[in-house]
Amino acid sequence: MSARKQGDGQPEDGGATAGKRLKIAKFSEDPEKKGLSRRLKDAEISLPIVYGTIAFYLGRKASESQSHKWTVYVRGATNEDLSAVIKRVVFQLHPSFNNPTRVMEAPPFELSECGWGEFEIAISLFFHPDVCDKQLDLYHHLKLYPEDESGPQSTKKPVVVESYDEIVFPDPSEAFYARAQNNPAVIVPRMPAGFNISAPVAPENTSERERGDTKDHPLSQWFMNFSEADELLKLAAARQQVQAHIVKLRRQLSVMDGMPQLSKPAPAYE
Amino acid sequence: MDAKDILGLPKNQLPIPQEKKSRPPKEPQRKPDGISREVYALTGGLAPLMPSVDVSQLKRRPPSDEKVTWQWLPFTNSARKDDLQLFHWVRVVNGVPPTGDYAFAKYNKSANIIKYTDEEYEKYLTDPAWTKEETDQLFDLCERFDLRFIVIADRFPSSRTVEELKDRYYSVSRALLSARAPPADITGHPLVKEPYNISQEVERKRALSMVLSQTKQQERKDTEVLAEAKRITESRMAAKGPEESELPAVANIGPDNSQRAITGDAVTPSTAMPSSAIAASSTLMADNASTLASLRMLRVYLRTYALDQMVQAASASAGLRTIKRVEQTLQELGVNLKPKVPTKAVCAEHLELRKEILTLLNLQKQLQYKEAEGTSFQDSPYSETPGTPKRTPRGDQDRPFMPDPLGFGGDRFGKRDQKRKAPGRTSEAAQSPSQSKRPRKMKASDI
Repeated sequence: MSARKQGDGQPEDGGATAGKRLKIAKFSEDPEKKGLSRRLKDAEISLPIVYGTIAFYLGRKASESQSHKWTVYVRGATNEDLSAVIKRVVFQLHPSFNNPTRVMEAPPFELSECGWGEFEIAISLFFHPDVCDKQLDLYHHLKLYPEDESGPQSTKKPVVVESYDEIVFPDPSEAFYARAQNNPAVIVPRMPAGFNISAPVAPENTSERERGDTKDHPLSQWFMNFSEADELLKLAAARQQVQAHIVKLRRQLSVMDGMPQLSKPAPAYE
Repeated sequence: MDAKDILGLPKNQLPIPQEKKSRPPKEPQRKPDGISREVYALTGGLAPLMPSVDVSQLKRRPPSDEKVTWQWLPFTNSARKDDLQLFHWVRVVNGVPPTGDYAFAKYNKSANIIKYTDEEYEKYLTDPAWTKEETDQLFDLCERFDLRFIVIADRFPSSRTVEELKDRYYSVSRALLSARAPPADITGHPLVKEPYNISQEVERKRALSMVLSQTKQQERKDTEVLAEAKRITESRMAAKGPEESELPAVANIGPDNSQRAITGDAVTPSTAMPSSAIAASSTLMADNASTLASLRMLRVYLRTYALDQMVQAASASAGLRTIKRVEQTLQELGVNLKPKVPTKAVCAEHLELRKEILTLLNLQKQLQYKEAEGTSFQDSPYSETPGTPKRTPRGDQDRPFMPDPLGFGGDRFGKRDQKRKAPGRTSEAAQSPSQSKRPRKMKASDI
C-alpha cells in the first residue's frame, strides 16, 4: 500500500463537474497565482478509492497456464464514478503477459486477465490537468490462491483482496474545487461562509456520457465494505483504555512526587 | 590412550616408561601443490577441512603389471590376548597378501601405571590415611580402568572420593619418581612441577556444582542485581555533571532518551519531569508540521502514505524498542497497525492513539526509574559501592530491557508493589538502620 509520486510539472486549467460531500478546512488565497490556477491554501480534496483484485478459479476449465480468471480494478469507495478526477489508469502487468502495460482511458478502470501466477501489479493513476499534474502509483499484489488451504478451490467463491485508500490533493486549484463540489465521489472541504467560488460549472451531460460508476458492476457482490464508523469506534475504545491507564500512572507518579525522600520507608530485605 | 602423552612425560628418559619413540619434531607444513600461495595463506597453514587429494592421483591408472584383487582372509589382532581369528576383506596385489600387524591394533593403547615393590612402599609410600592393601587396590583399578578415576571411585571397595583417590595415586607416583631418578632429571616433570592439589580440586568442584544447581530464578535475580548496579553507577556518573545531562533531557526526550532524562530527574526529581513532557509534545507538533509541509510539496499523495510519514515523524525520537512496544500495545488493543479504512478521521485518531501510547510508556518508565532511583539514592547517597539496591521493584526491573507483555502495567504494577512492600515493612521494624546498610553482596552469598 505504498505510494510514490512522480511529477512532470504542467500548469492546470479549468474543467467542470460537480461535487457535494464536505469537510472542514481553512481557506486563504495564494497571492502568487490568480485565476484558474489559483490554489486553495490549507485545504485538501480527497478521493476515497478502493483498489484490488478478484480472482475466480476456473475449475474444470483450468489449464496449466490459465487456472484463474482475475480482474484488477480501481473503483470509488462507494462505487462512484472516478472519471471526474482520474483521467487514465495504467496497469503494469507481469512481463510474461502480452502487452504488459495496459492503459485504461475511461471508467471503469479495470482489467481482466487469465493466468496461473501471483505477482505485483503496479497501478499508475493519471489525473485531469486541473486536478494534479503528477501521477500516483499504487501497488497491489495479485492473489489467486486463498490463504486457508481448505480443500479444493471453489469456482463459485473468488479470492478478493481490496485496499481502501484516499488520494489526497493538498492545496487544490479553485477550478478543481469548483468541479468537485457536487461530485459524490470526492470529499471536498467546507469553505467558510461568504466564500463563493465563481464556478463556471458547465452542466455536464451525464446521460450522454458512458456510465463510469461501478454500482451495478457484475462483480459488485464481491466488493468489500469499508466502514469508517467501525474503525473509529474501535480506535475510540482503545484510546479510552489508554487514557485511563495514563491517568492512573499520573496519579501514581504524583503520589511518589509528593512523598519526601526521607519519609520513604527504609530499605528492607526480601 | 597414552598416559604419557596426557601427562607430557618425556619419553625414554625414565626407567619406568616403556620404550616409546618420541614423535619427530613437526616440521612446518609445506604448501601443497595446486593451491595458490594466497589461498593457502588464508588457511593459516592449517590442514584443510576437506582432505585434498591430488587430482593427478585420481587420474592415474594403476600400473598395468599390478593385479589387484580383494580376498576374504583370516587375521589375528595383536591387541588381543586370546588369538581370536576373524576374517576380513583384504586388498591383495599380485597375489601377495599384505603382511604385518592388524592395522587397527596400534590403537589399543593403555596407560602406563607405575609399579612399586614392597620395599619401595615401605621406604617411600607409607601414608597414615592409606593401607598398603588399599593402595594396591587403587593401582590395580588404575591399570584396569586406564586412570578413569570416576569409574575407579565407583569400583573402589572402601568409600573414597575421587579427589582422595587421585591425590593418593599422584602422590605415590610422584614419590616413586623422585625416589628412582636423580632430582635434576625430574624438576621439569609435570607430576613434580604441577602437583595435584586436592583442596583446590574439592573447592573447584563445589563451586561448579553450586553454579550448576542454581535455579533459573536465582540466576535471573543475579543478573537483575548486576544490571541494576550498572544502571545506578551510570546514573551517578551522569549526576556528577548535572548541567550536561539537564539540557539534552529537555531537548530530546523521546521515550528512549528517557534514560538520559531520568538521570536528570535523579538530580532534580520533581521539576525535570513535567518540563520534559511538555518538550516531548511540542517536538511532536513540530514534526507534524514539517511532515505536512513536505506532503504538500507532493501535490498528490495517498492517505496511507501520509499516515506512515506522520507515524514515522512522531516516533522519530523514540528508539526501535519503544516503537516495537507501541506496535505491540496496538495489537494487544486489537487495533490494526495500519488502519483498514484510512480516512482522514481514522488516521487522526490512529495517530492520537499512538501518541497516547507513547505517553503511557513514558510514564511507565518514569514511574519505574523514580522508584529505583528514589530508593537507591536514599540508601547510600553517592557512596562508591553501587551494589545496594534493596527495595527496588524486582519484578518490574526487567521492564526497560524487555517489552512488557501488555503495556498496561498499571494495575499489575501497583499490585506487585503492594505485595512487595508489605513484607518489607514488617521486617524493617526489626532492623536497625546500620543493618540496612549491609551490602547486598553478603546476601547473594548466603543463598
